[in-house]
Amino acid sequence: MSLEVSIKKKFKGFSLDVNFRTNGEYLGILGASGSGKSLTLKCIAGVETPDEGRIVLNNKVLYDSKKNVNIIPQNRNIGYMFQNYALFPNMTAEENIGVGLKLSKREKKIKTNELMKLFRLEGMSYKYPAQLSGGQQQRVALARIIAYEPDVLLLDEPFSALDSQLKSELHTDFLDLLKLYNGEVLIVTHSKDEVYRFSENLALIEKGTITGFGKTKEIFEKPRTLSEAKMTGCKNISKCIITDNKIYCSDWGIALETKNIPENCNYIGIPSNNFEIVNEEGINTFECKLVNVIEEINEYTIVIENNNGSKTKPIYFNINKEVWDNTKIKDKLHIKINDFYILR
Amino acid sequence: MDWSPMLISLKTASVSIIITFFIGILAAKSVVGMKSDKVRIVIDGLLTLPLVLPPTVLGFFILLILGVKRPLGKFLLDFFSVKIVFSWTATVIAAVVVSFPLMYRSARGAFEQVDKNLIMAGRTLGMSERKIFWRVTMPLALPGIASGGVLAFARALGEFGATAMVAGNIANKTRTLPLAIYAEVAAGNMEGSYGYVAVVVIISFVVLSLMNYFTIKGSKYNNKDELK
Amino acid sequence: MKKIIFILTLCLLMVLVGCNTETPPAAPEPDEQAEPETPEEPEEEPAAEVTILLAAAASLKNCIDKELIPMFAEKHPNITVDATYDSSGKLQAQIEEGADVDVFMSAAMKQMNALNDKGLIKKGTIVELLENKIVLILPIDSLTEIASFEDILKAETIAVGDPESVPAGQYAKESFENLGIWEDVSAKASLGTNVTEVLSWVAAGSADAGVVYATDAASNENVKVVAEAPEGSVSKVIYPIGIIDATTKLEAAQIFTEFLQSEEALSIFEKYGFTAN
Repeated sequence: MSLEVSIKKKFKGFSLDVNFRTNGEYLGILGASGSGKSLTLKCIAGVETPDEGRIVLNNKVLYDSKKNVNIIPQNRNIGYMFQNYALFPNMTAEENIGVGLKLSKREKKIKTNELMKLFRLEGMSYKYPAQLSGGQQQRVALARIIAYEPDVLLLDEPFSALDSQLKSELHTDFLDLLKLYNGEVLIVTHSKDEVYRFSENLALIEKGTITGFGKTKEIFEKPRTLSEAKMTGCKNISKCIITDNKIYCSDWGIALETKNIPENCNYIGIPSNNFEIVNEEGINTFECKLVNVIEEINEYTIVIENNNGSKTKPIYFNINKEVWDNTKIKDKLHIKINDFYILR
Repeated sequence: MDWSPMLISLKTASVSIIITFFIGILAAKSVVGMKSDKVRIVIDGLLTLPLVLPPTVLGFFILLILGVKRPLGKFLLDFFSVKIVFSWTATVIAAVVVSFPLMYRSARGAFEQVDKNLIMAGRTLGMSERKIFWRVTMPLALPGIASGGVLAFARALGEFGATAMVAGNIANKTRTLPLAIYAEVAAGNMEGSYGYVAVVVIISFVVLSLMNYFTIKGSKYNNKDELK
Repeated sequence: MKKIIFILTLCLLMVLVGCNTETPPAAPEPDEQAEPETPEEPEEEPAAEVTILLAAAASLKNCIDKELIPMFAEKHPNITVDATYDSSGKLQAQIEEGADVDVFMSAAMKQMNALNDKGLIKKGTIVELLENKIVLILPIDSLTEIASFEDILKAETIAVGDPESVPAGQYAKESFENLGIWEDVSAKASLGTNVTEVLSWVAAGSADAGVVYATDAASNENVKVVAEAPEGSVSKVIYPIGIIDATTKLEAAQIFTEFLQSEEALSIFEKYGFTAN
């Protein structure tokens, strides 16, 4: 089971140029709005046409600009879930779910009833989308595309239409329901949480090109490029130069030491929970002044700046509320950096 | 009061709305589906033209095509003994020409209002273009189309300028309600027009109410209270 | 900057208002009222620019617009004649509603008399100026064999003016009534709201035959005259001219009406198919 995509398309403001292939596991595509992730899905589905390239799904060529192949969406056997679900407002939940099934009326009814049971939509048969809750609509949309067992599922920001309140609960629920489908899933989202929970593999997309690709957990735990660090949410990133066997971070004015400094070391990234307040100077410790304290729900975000006179970028780190409240001297701090990413 | 103008007007408007309904929807469907923006703008302009041209100009163009001295009109007269001008058919032609843009624009607006994602979804779900049109686009566009149809009917009923030019003003044959009203007023006979004017006002009011009804009905699928 | 624009606009408005105000006409002298027909010596012309409005029957449009107004403008360059043409019935209605008309020339005595009865025409200014014959016309290339008013029922569609509001239509009805065929004619008749409409219908071939004035027939090369209304079947078509009582430009109006009665003017009228009365 695999999907190979290699396409180019001129788009408003930038050019889409993506190249990737899947290996049977779920693939998440993480990118900001307008980065081209939805467009990629639409090209795979066939509702948009690239300018050139090739798309192959399970060894069937869906699109090949050189050979003039462009199979219409109706024949691509893919399942596409739209951001706003695109449920047909003039059809009931039952009719919506059955719309992609090519069966006799009787068989269709049996199959849709079965699906409605599995998707916990019993009793909703005669309801119209406008009468369903957000979560129910989402389940109808998912049931609709799983019903005819397509070769791949393309999910376009499946949670963006829901309240954040519900999201968490629905994530697990949704994952369970997805297991009812036996094929590959591509999920496109701007949410790091979603992509972390849903997909084993991760592709990062920025301004139309893929800037990172690999196993999701690995990328989040140890980003290796500037792009990976930024997109996995690392707030503290600085340019750096290697002098004297030390890594000098120019944006913050601090020098870091480590055992093996690799060749390609252009940036340093420090996750916000890798800081510690200490009492004296030491390796990878520096003195800083307090700029701001932001109270979050479960912790504080402390904003600090280097205290050596020159203008530097602020650094953000998280700290347990109790620990901070118990810290005596707050204006002048010694901060130790416990671990950091070396980025290309 | 002589009821014949009213009957003629109703007959003319009824026949013309049937014609306009189909060609209006057909034209709207083609224009919405056009790939090239430039072509679409030009065709849309041409199809909307009768809306902004004075009815007498429209009458002029109709005469240009169907008048007995013109190639087509002469041909019909010589070979089929059919004279379109000054016949009841001409009232229908005039009515169709002036009301067509209203039907076309309403239908076009209604089609464009349909969420494009729904059409894309239909395609990915394996629905043929035809099935998408009849099961998704049309049902959702119907209220807007119906509203346009009602408007077109009212316009056909009130058509005057082009009708006088191509159909003349023959009692019991082509003297429509607006022509009758105009003749009464021109003769200084205001009293004679009261009846006709009352009829026109009542029909117009009914038309507007129907339009509003269809518009409200149109939001039915988006409103959960409406669906209960 | 804004102030300057404001002041300039104000000045512009004042100039426009000033240009549009007319100088009041000189008070009419008593003896002018007594002889509206042929003055012995030229009248005193109002010194400033004057514009008068003539309301005339549609059938007068061609000869007045094309030749008589230009001719008059040459002789009296400071008097501008604006003209509006329509069916006499509509013009009558407009004058009754207070339209700012100075001189009225209708295609029948009916409308002139109606206005006069209401006191809207200045006493003694009515002159029965012209006569127009009623004729039967066919499209120029018509092969239908119609040679007289009696034959008109041979035509499939007939165009006449609406007798209720168009004088030419009144006359047509009168003529056909006297021939005993009006009922049948009106069943096939397309009623025009003014005589020019009737003429266009026949000229386009939409109507197979029509009844209009001799002057109309003369003006359109796409129709041919096949008969005149039978002697005695219709009353004379008189075109009277009169000055509206409410006019504020009496002198100019009088000069114009006198001009229309001159030999020069009458010969132009005859050229267009009218008969001097």
